[in-house]
Amino acid sequence: MRTLKSIFLSTSLLTVSLLAVTACKDSTFLEVAPRSQGDSQTALTTAEGFDAAVNGIYDRLQSVVLYGRDMLAVSEALGDNAQFTNKSGRLSGENRNLISNTFGTATSGGATWQTAYFAINQANLILDNVGNVTFSDTSQRNRLQGQAYFLRALLYHDLSRIYSYDPGVAVPSQDRGGVPLITVGVADQSKITFPARAAVADVYKQIYSDLQNAIRLFSRSNPSAPAYGNLQAAQALFSRVALYNKDYATAVKYATDAISGSIKLSSNASYIGGWRAPQNPESLFEIQFIVAENIGVNTSLQTSYTTLVRTGDRTATGGFGDLVPTTAFINDLEAEKSSTGAVLDIRRQLYELGTTGRGTAFIECTKFLGKNGTINLDNVPVIRVSELYLNRAEANYNLGNTTDALTDLNVIRQRCGLTASTLTGASILTEIYRQERLEYGFEGHRWFDLKRTGQNVVKAAAQGGGLAYTDNRILAPIPVNELSTNRNIVQNFGY
Amino acid sequence: MRKLLFGSWLLSLFFCLSVMAQDATISGRVTSSDDGSALPGVSVQVKGTTRGTTTDANGRYTISASPRSTLVFSFIGFTNQEVAVGNRSNVTVTLESSANALNEVVVTGYGGTVNRREFTGASSKVSGSTIANLPVGSFDKALAGRAAGVQVTSANGVPGGAIQIRIRGIGSISAGSDPLYVVDGVQINSTNNSSFTSTNPLAFLNPNDIESVEILKDAAAASIYGSQAANGVVLVTTKRGKAGKTQITLNYYKGLADPIKKLDVLNTQQWIQLRTENLVNAGTAADAARSTVLQTLRLISVPGAANPNNLPASLSDAEIAALPTYDWQNAVFRQGQTDNYELGLNGGNEKTRFFVSGSYYTQSANVVNVNFKRGTLNTTLTHQINSKLSIDQTLKLSTIISNGQFGGPNGGSFLGAGAFSSPLILPSVAIYNADGSYNGTPALGGIPGILNQNVVQVSELNQIRANINQFVGSIALNYKVLDNLTIRPFVSLDYRSIRGKNFSDPRTADGINVRGRIQDQFNENKNFLTNITANYTKTVGKSDFGVLLGAEYRSDINENLLTNITNVPTPDFKYASAAALPQNIGGSWTGYRKGSVFGNIKYNFNKKYDLSFIGRLDGSSRFGANNRFGFFPSVSGAWLISEEDFLKGGRYVSDLKLRASFGTTGNDQLGSLFAAANFPGLGLVSPGYDYNSAAGFAPTQLANPDLKWETNQTINLGLDFGFLGNRITGSVDVFQRTSKDLLLPFNLPFTSGYSAISRNAGEVQNRGLELEINTVNVRAGQFQWKSSFNITTIKNKVTKLYPGIVPLNNPDSTILLSYVDFYGVGRNAILGRPLQPQFTTDYAGVNPATGRAMFYDYAGNITYRPLTPRDQKYFGTEQPKFYGGFNNTFVYGNLSLDFLFQFDYGRRSFNSQTSFLIENAGRNFNALTDVYNRRWQQAGDITDVPRAYNANAETNSVSNLGGTRTLEDASYMRLKQITLSYDVPAAISSRIKASKARIYIQGANLLTFTNWSSYDPEFLNFGSGNSGVVPNSKTYQAGINVTF
Repeated sequence: MRTLKSIFLSTSLLTVSLLAVTACKDSTFLEVAPRSQGDSQTALTTAEGFDAAVNGIYDRLQSVVLYGRDMLAVSEALGDNAQFTNKSGRLSGENRNLISNTFGTATSGGATWQTAYFAINQANLILDNVGNVTFSDTSQRNRLQGQAYFLRALLYHDLSRIYSYDPGVAVPSQDRGGVPLITVGVADQSKITFPARAAVADVYKQIYSDLQNAIRLFSRSNPSAPAYGNLQAAQALFSRVALYNKDYATAVKYATDAISGSIKLSSNASYIGGWRAPQNPESLFEIQFIVAENIGVNTSLQTSYTTLVRTGDRTATGGFGDLVPTTAFINDLEAEKSSTGAVLDIRRQLYELGTTGRGTAFIECTKFLGKNGTINLDNVPVIRVSELYLNRAEANYNLGNTTDALTDLNVIRQRCGLTASTLTGASILTEIYRQERLEYGFEGHRWFDLKRTGQNVVKAAAQGGGLAYTDNRILAPIPVNELSTNRNIVQNFGY
Repeated sequence: MRKLLFGSWLLSLFFCLSVMAQDATISGRVTSSDDGSALPGVSVQVKGTTRGTTTDANGRYTISASPRSTLVFSFIGFTNQEVAVGNRSNVTVTLESSANALNEVVVTGYGGTVNRREFTGASSKVSGSTIANLPVGSFDKALAGRAAGVQVTSANGVPGGAIQIRIRGIGSISAGSDPLYVVDGVQINSTNNSSFTSTNPLAFLNPNDIESVEILKDAAAASIYGSQAANGVVLVTTKRGKAGKTQITLNYYKGLADPIKKLDVLNTQQWIQLRTENLVNAGTAADAARSTVLQTLRLISVPGAANPNNLPASLSDAEIAALPTYDWQNAVFRQGQTDNYELGLNGGNEKTRFFVSGSYYTQSANVVNVNFKRGTLNTTLTHQINSKLSIDQTLKLSTIISNGQFGGPNGGSFLGAGAFSSPLILPSVAIYNADGSYNGTPALGGIPGILNQNVVQVSELNQIRANINQFVGSIALNYKVLDNLTIRPFVSLDYRSIRGKNFSDPRTADGINVRGRIQDQFNENKNFLTNITANYTKTVGKSDFGVLLGAEYRSDINENLLTNITNVPTPDFKYASAAALPQNIGGSWTGYRKGSVFGNIKYNFNKKYDLSFIGRLDGSSRFGANNRFGFFPSVSGAWLISEEDFLKGGRYVSDLKLRASFGTTGNDQLGSLFAAANFPGLGLVSPGYDYNSAAGFAPTQLANPDLKWETNQTINLGLDFGFLGNRITGSVDVFQRTSKDLLLPFNLPFTSGYSAISRNAGEVQNRGLELEINTVNVRAGQFQWKSSFNITTIKNKVTKLYPGIVPLNNPDSTILLSYVDFYGVGRNAILGRPLQPQFTTDYAGVNPATGRAMFYDYAGNITYRPLTPRDQKYFGTEQPKFYGGFNNTFVYGNLSLDFLFQFDYGRRSFNSQTSFLIENAGRNFNALTDVYNRRWQQAGDITDVPRAYNANAETNSVSNLGGTRTLEDASYMRLKQITLSYDVPAAISSRIKASKARIYIQGANLLTFTNWSSYDPEFLNFGSGNSGVVPNSKTYQAGINVTF
């Protein structure tokens, strides 16, 4: 008994003291490393890490508040191509231009701004660190670095056109500048800054510089188009950015460069088929979605635009079809007819009558129809070859090269089955705008095209009655979070 | 204690006149009012004499006394009882358990107990018998209204579903606010890891196995648990074997559950009229509007027809009047059933005692296809190896199958959630076809309206299930080194596996386009705990010392696997191998470790003055590298005033004790319940940011090596009292709980690439008053009426957020912090206001001239377009102003009636279910009849319901559903429980050889008084408010309980 007692006592005391001593002196005893996540300090120290980090930026672009939906559908809702159907109630506020109903706000406050800046930080971190790591394959480094520049340029351009006036058309009394420019990655607390809004000119300077870098790096590597940023896409984006910047010579230059690339304009015969393929053969850059990334029945582009599950089958109802073309838009598509009265424009085939499954049937846009083989799953074209011709036409017109402008305009018109135009003077520009509207229908361009050219948005009363260019709702409000965390940020006028 | 009783008996000897008469032999039996069991060791005294005896193991006694004498029965934990002998030779007595009186035992953790007389902290006890046999899946649900300072809210009416307990308010902003649950010494992992159904980690325990629940509320009581104790500690003690004859207990009850309320919605004709009105008001011509509405409605499905389902675009008024209306709520809500079967064995001898019980419990909710089945096996064994060494062992096994609703586990605006959808589906839509098959299946084109799924089909065909297996076991050795020194090593394991399943049938809307979807979850949690404690007591003169020292180690690991596969051949194939197209597979791991040393020194002087010091040092892997260890001390004292000469033996004051405590406790529920749980201070990149089938990651968390626990400082002043021979007993406590260093998201501009970094910065104060009072109102012969009442009022206030938050651009310059709480719910914290505030614009009603919805701007002027944040204000909180319960028990002989009212007052909640129903058909939803009747129709109408308007927002307005219009008062009082029971007389029960038998009928939630316009004001907001929540039900049950 005595021995038992002493064994017990000593063991117990030993355990207590051991526990106490280890707990107090040696805190590695309490180290637990995460296994489902990685350490941010070591994430960007290998080539594989950079590859994963670049994919991480593309993943952000898939978000509903960027190219998953909003860059296209919200843009269309705000503009004059579309009317809401109220079949789920979604996009009805945006379509009527209710105050603060804009990009990202339907999902959560300022999510577009947030997601874009998160992605920019990821690009910054890559650009900050890519020089510190040895790549056995330099072309791999160029490819990754080039994509980071390309994506940063795209994101800054999108932020700029949502939240600030475009160069040359600012309403001076309401102009609060461009968006904040951050070009250094935040990996730890010490790097956090509280930036003010940069001048719009500086934002464009940065986008130019990023695109120049991307073009330089892509020329020495070969990322696969259209899923990833590539040389032709960077040139095409440059032509778009330059057009927004009213820098027409640059727009012409890069459009021409891009047109000479390997991805070509689709022919009349293959154009509609291109919209039924998972990847549009005309896409220079297209956000890819795989099965696991399906945005689903509430907010995918398919459900936003159509109730159809497949073309020509009105018996199966899929999505909500929240946003459909206005009668005016369809009329415009049907305006040019053959002598027999047939609609000439083949793009009309991309719109068809939806189902009655959720109420009255409307003519709906079918550019997004589960082309990847699963309902609600579509890749999203960001830049197509068509844009290059129209960009160049518009830029040339503004440079006074009306002949060149008309040539490019007719490339698009004839490709769609329309006759070559012989317009002259200002009518050429009007027709370029019209073709831009019809060609990019429901791809998210119209709102921004009206805005960058300083035009009023004309809409029927049921769609809110439209708004003058000077209306403050032309610009989206900066998210409240930025104002409450950063004293240097100034809110847009009227919010 | 017994000395005290003996002392008081001696006193009575001196003061009472003893009357001697001729003695007779009296015998009888003493049982407990709790469960009718025999009470051994009860002191039986002839009043006024030195004559006395004690009861034997079967509770029997024999004593000689004169017919004119009075017998005094006394026993620890029970109220003394005096019985005049009269001419009887048999005096059988049932002693009343003196819960809440000063002579009960307080469980203090780490195997310790202390008499309440000496306890210096604040705690509430709920005895197992009060929560036994209630139709609840887990014991925590039954605690509602039972204890002061303890707010219990059911997340929903899902059997065995989630429950939230908040002890003395909410002391965290973005960290967890759940108490620590300790079951027989095992610190339970109470994280809810089920992906598809609402489950409760405490449901593994059969509530009827519980002996008592002790809720430790202040720092003095709880700080022995250090960094886990800030939200209070719930100590559950399960039943133990009693020496003596083996008792066999059979327990059965059966119950029915009905919906508390259904919502009154429009019929087909009203809906057509209202929807047409919407379109007309929004500018559509009347004929076109009516035609559009009629086209929206489809009555029957005609497969194969070209345009099968539409009504003709025009119908005559008579034809419209003839259209039928279908009651979807009737189809979705139904009567639930409860069955409980139990067998218990308990017995042993002086050396070995055992308790074994097995139970099988099934309960179905009042909503289609939501149910719960549980089998448990529970054993506890106590064995005295020798005079020095004993062993305590517990093992609880349980298996649960829980079927939840399609949609989200916590409800939400999901089309498949029956409670959400059924009142909103258009009333013209048939539920079944003429042949009894489901109407409006996706194959037939769905049903019209936004809710285009036949929710009955969806609920019946889809399978949403959690299969939970859990075992909680422990073993402890008690080694009595010396008479006054015990060492106790303890080891336990709390293991839980959850197999979750979510099967989307290919015939339903969510399944048809992917040909069925199978999602499987496997979650495994291993929670290992070991500690060793040494307990030393010493008496020197009038001073009693007690010392507890201990050390502890805990490790908790959770692993999760999720798969998602589509495309099954037919609905008969419900397992993953049958599915052709894998969608994604997810796996994750998380865990933490914790090491601690702790101690408690107690000092008692002269049985009147108590002092207690507690200190605990906790190290945890959850804390940042620079702050790995936290120290949590407390000091408390008590003064037993009634033992002072000036009160002792007084007529009115039986017991009076003053308590005071001050101490700190910690909260280590940092991070979130989900993603980065356990690693809140590290800089992390997270996977899953994939693109084009290639792996990607993104930075998700900035490092903060200074991150540490949250600290609670609690001051408590309490008074325990007993008046008039303890006919009135109770406690009153005032406290101030200051929660400091609260984990806050230090919100960053999104331009930084992050939304926030976690820092210890916030401060919240809870000041409160608690009152518990128990009275014996009438005690006359066989009749007794007892009441107990408790009420708690708490003022909760955010007293500090971090400096540098830019005030909102409104006249109040509100300092507001938006954050996502531990449970994933987006919330605001406003400086100077309570947590969970309602911050919105002020709805000003309807312009009588036009029917437009009006709002007040910041200056109190009417506007149609309020601006956020300029015009936003604070409008109350989701926390109650006060809450509590009121219980009454009437006993007449063998018959007793017991009922509990529970109340919760002052909660202001967003009614997200009703917010759809008050749209007044602005979209294709059905609407509430009351709101329809009150809507603005013509100039001059004075009402709060705006005119019906398509899409709910007039030109140049905001949505008319905004602001305070959808805020409601969620206060309620309800008859939580009412029980009528009958103890079958021994004469009858003995015929079946039973020592005891009891039959009862019971009801729960039979009455609810509230202004809440939806089903049930009792719910938890998991982000989508009350929409889609399976409501609580009214239940009726009958049961029988027999002991052999």
